[in-house]
Amino acid sequence: MTLKLMAGVASLALIAGTAGAQELKFAPGEGPFSWDSYEAWAAEAPDLSGQTVTVAGPWLTPEDGFFRDVLAYFEAATGAKAVYTGSDSFEQQIVIDAEAGSPPNIAVFPQPGLAAVLAAKGQLTPLGDDMKQWVTDNYAAGQSWVDLGTYPDASGAPEFYGYFYNVNLKSLVWYSPDNFDDAGYDVPETMEDLKALTEQIAADGETPWCIGLGSGAATGWPATDWVEDMMLRTQPPEVYDQWVSNEMPFNDERVIEAIEEYGWFARNDSFVSGGSGAVASTDFRDSPKGLFSSPPQCYMHRQASFATAFFPEGVEPGVDADFFYLPGFAEKDLGNPVLGGGTVLAITDPTPGAEALMEFLTLPIASEVFMNQSGFLAPHKGVNLDAYRDDILRKQGEILLNATTFRFDGSDLMPAAIGAGTFWTGMVDYTGGKDAKAVADDIQRSWDALK
Amino acid sequence: MDNIAGHKSGLTWAVHLSVLFLVLLWIFPTVGLFVSSFRTSDQISSTGWWKALFPTEQNSVYRAPSASDQIEQGGVFVIEGNVFEGSATGDIAHWGVSSREIDAYAPGETADLGEDGRLTLNADGSFRLENTEAFTGSRGQRIFVTATTPPEFTLANYEFMLFDPRNSEGMTKAFFSTLTVTIPSTIIPILIAAFAAYALAWMEFPGRALLIACVVGLLVVPLQLALIPLLKFHNNIGIGKGYLGVWFAHTGFGLPLAIYLLRNYMAGLPRDIIENAKVDGATDFQIFVKIILPLSFPALASFAIFQFLWTWNDLLVAMVFLIDSSGETTVMTRQIVEMLGTRGGDWEILATAAFISMAVPILVFFAMQRYLVRGLLAGSVK
Repeated sequence: MTLKLMAGVASLALIAGTAGAQELKFAPGEGPFSWDSYEAWAAEAPDLSGQTVTVAGPWLTPEDGFFRDVLAYFEAATGAKAVYTGSDSFEQQIVIDAEAGSPPNIAVFPQPGLAAVLAAKGQLTPLGDDMKQWVTDNYAAGQSWVDLGTYPDASGAPEFYGYFYNVNLKSLVWYSPDNFDDAGYDVPETMEDLKALTEQIAADGETPWCIGLGSGAATGWPATDWVEDMMLRTQPPEVYDQWVSNEMPFNDERVIEAIEEYGWFARNDSFVSGGSGAVASTDFRDSPKGLFSSPPQCYMHRQASFATAFFPEGVEPGVDADFFYLPGFAEKDLGNPVLGGGTVLAITDPTPGAEALMEFLTLPIASEVFMNQSGFLAPHKGVNLDAYRDDILRKQGEILLNATTFRFDGSDLMPAAIGAGTFWTGMVDYTGGKDAKAVADDIQRSWDALK
Repeated sequence: MDNIAGHKSGLTWAVHLSVLFLVLLWIFPTVGLFVSSFRTSDQISSTGWWKALFPTEQNSVYRAPSASDQIEQGGVFVIEGNVFEGSATGDIAHWGVSSREIDAYAPGETADLGEDGRLTLNADGSFRLENTEAFTGSRGQRIFVTATTPPEFTLANYEFMLFDPRNSEGMTKAFFSTLTVTIPSTIIPILIAAFAAYALAWMEFPGRALLIACVVGLLVVPLQLALIPLLKFHNNIGIGKGYLGVWFAHTGFGLPLAIYLLRNYMAGLPRDIIENAKVDGATDFQIFVKIILPLSFPALASFAIFQFLWTWNDLLVAMVFLIDSSGETTVMTRQIVEMLGTRGGDWEILATAAFISMAVPILVFFAMQRYLVRGLLAGSVK
């Protein structure tokens, strides 16, 4: 076994040497990585010397570097050159490039909705049934992921176009364990407890929540995540799906109830840092900082797994900060549905190199190298959990793997004019004091106008 | 007469004061950006830049070393350190050990932590945590300090952008790549526009007025409208994405303004000179090269500045026509956007990047600014 491994490593080193590829971040055979499956794949991998595979996506510093580290292993195995370019306006650029006929080989879509738009124009290449089966078998809650990667093609027939890579988990509540200790608060187990805790903190003269909706042109999106979370905690997932597809109108009373659940937290001046008037104007990147200030501006902050990126310098996740899963209502018995987001990989310009790279990225190693360095979560059941950068991420990875129901960020699935338009602005209006029914009516009207 | 003179000087003062006010108003955000570029991201998010110049009272949290760093001294377990370690010193006003009471103690006092021992913090920031039993747990004791700290500035942002090995190569490449885009994109439209402007100003041919109207009309066409069709066209004729494509695009988008500006200027040149030259038997080309070009230098220079600034600061056209997924081509603006990070929260990088990318346009502007004013005034106001 050892001999085989050594031989594998030696042959890998040879390939790497001949291809003159960039340095590998982690030496093969070392660390908590799944080398066996990689070596097996590398041995079978087609020789793509002289070919270039291009990937475009939304990751910028520092994630782009981590993804390039992943690509280096592909280069070492195949001899191809793999280039990643990131862009902050990826969503616009991929549309222009696909339309004009100069797309990259593979695109990393931050929203399934955008991939669906390109698929409908015939600009994506289906991945085929093998890949579909692979996702069903290897991803936790596999069918949910397959559905999210299946879109109608130009003729309207559904095809499987993309699988998810780099997922994040919403519905986390971040807090400082030390501050909870100092004040004698316990982590709530149910939504009722959470509300009681919120009231207690306010009664103690402190501020329970930091909520910030500001995000430049995208201001309002953190509130849509709140409403989606509340939707999944007050209604079964099927209702959530009907809401996202607009089978159930936006101004249905069940949606209004979810909006008002969010309002219970955000529209109470004594529950949010700075008062409810400050919620819409506080930048979402700045609002988690209040958890760690002295004295603390707030005790809890609901944000996705990437919140750690905005913690102040010196705050160590796992020591200074921890999270608990936004609990469900005890009285509703809806289980623990998982809400998340993520990026989906699809082929925009098919070549043998692009197909080989798509295959390579399904290997555990492709996730492990990324997740070892960044807040990357993998729904892939085959990855080694030891590869996660820290305990916090490992805990999140486990939540994702144990999920029975996974629901994608609803605003990313809605048409862009709603999910990245009136839903955002509507939530800003609602937070500012407008009536929930009026806001929901407005959003539904804008949705009707699209039909 | 005295009254009038006094009145006049009062008005002059008012003009001067309002000019000063406008200049300050104009320069204010730039100063803020400049100060911010010397601050860390935590400083930017905690206090405004106008406070950066003065000592400020800040509340900070320090975490003492954990149990693994304790030493035993004569039966007492001790953890020692300094809350200012690794950062600037300051004057401690008061301190505390709980997030609920951050100002419970004065410097020199000792806090009784019960089972967790006793903590003494001195005015110089050094502290001593001692206990009769060994410390346990992986989390160190938190110390909340309220201290007045002197202003602190850092060059780290500039170092990060210019000299950090991860960035310096990319920035250098982007710098020269931007020059490669900018210089031809400035020269080509001027060459074409100068000829066109002469023809539209001084050559008689049918439909001239209509042609001028068309050029003026093109000024209002938003360039976003042309992005996809033009890129499709480039792909079809085989230019694809690259320098040639971006030069053509900038030329096309810059021409209407260039022709309009230069024609207006040239039309304002004295008719006598040109007619004299014609009488002496000069051809149109000779008039253009020997008379018009030297006389229109201010207009040419002012348009060159416009076009240079616009192409230097451009991101959109470069993204569409130049930057392909091969990763070989890039421009400064794009390099900077990439540095801002996936979620764009790095304000300190933004401020620093603004100043670095501003340097070249400012040099160009000051080198040619006397032409800018002359060219603009001569072209428009008569």
